[in-house]
Amino acid sequence: MIRKEAIRLISKKIVGDVIVSANGYISRDLFEVNDKPTNFYMIGSMGLASSIGLGLALQNPKKMIHVFDGDGNILMNLGSLTTIGKLKPKNFIHIIFDNSSHESTGGQPTSTNKISIDAIAKAVNFKVFKCHSKNSLDKIFKKIKKMYGPIIILVKISKSKKISRRVSLPPKKIKARFMKSLQS
Amino acid sequence: MNEIHQRRIFDYLVKNKIENFIGVPDSTMKYFIDQGFKRKKVLITTREEEAIGIASGFALSKSNSLVFMQNAGFANSISTITSLVQLYEIPLIFLIGWRGYLKKDAPEHMKIGKIQPNLLKILDLPRKIITDKNWKASCNWALKKLANHESCTLIIRRVFL
Repeated sequence: MIRKEAIRLISKKIVGDVIVSANGYISRDLFEVNDKPTNFYMIGSMGLASSIGLGLALQNPKKMIHVFDGDGNILMNLGSLTTIGKLKPKNFIHIIFDNSSHESTGGQPTSTNKISIDAIAKAVNFKVFKCHSKNSLDKIFKKIKKMYGPIIILVKISKSKKISRRVSLPPKKIKARFMKSLQS
Repeated sequence: MNEIHQRRIFDYLVKNKIENFIGVPDSTMKYFIDQGFKRKKVLITTREEEAIGIASGFALSKSNSLVFMQNAGFANSISTITSLVQLYEIPLIFLIGWRGYLKKDAPEHMKIGKIQPNLLKILDLPRKIITDKNWKASCNWALKKLANHESCTLIIRRVFL
């Protein structure tokens, strides 16, 4: 799967629930395939999608909070996994799209094909699923419906030359409509 | 700042609807943080940027937060302040210790202590030095900023070694 396809398939499964998406191509893809007020597009502040998601999860225990993260992003803020693992929010689902590269800056390699993010996540109290195909994606999403978080789904994606357009909403607008959607 | 005022500041902010106190510890404000632990309202994070991210998640849910840190951590946070807090106009209160305020602090604090006032100034972060004498007025100033959806900074000077 390429990232854009994985983001399309997963975001369609998340109806009415919050998605916090990491900066770079992840937010751009989500904006292009499934823009909704319940999406919070993080444009700058690399690495912090999981932390923003944690604050949201703690304050909104009745909503499911999904974080769409990249491998480069989570490696920059690995400490956040320990904080999330310590607090164990039941409504926190962390989806990491892993292509072992910093794709938006020119495809430089990350270390995820030489280390084990899933072992790290398990060690800090996450339930971990690995996804390599569309078929396994469906199975995993069925399974986690009956489970409590924190959950990590590692989605292996391949690199692609398809690049989505930038998020054209101004940040203040992203914030305003997102905050309004939380109140409903 | 003395122990009793640090504890009072914490209680005063809780009374005035600050719900989350998130950050990385600083001995300059250890009684403030201890008061937070007593009241089970403190979350310690691994880095300052992480604390700001979590506080932003709370702010998006209309829950008020204070983020505390040393000035070394403030230096870590600058990109997060510009590209998250200021870009999205997320209202937070920062409480930052000022190591390197004294002329003879430990060597690692001297440079950042010297440039801290200018860094805050060029970041356009409204700031006040909070002291034993002005603590209530300083808290009220910060609370008013937050009510107006603005971020601001309270500084605690390190006046002992």
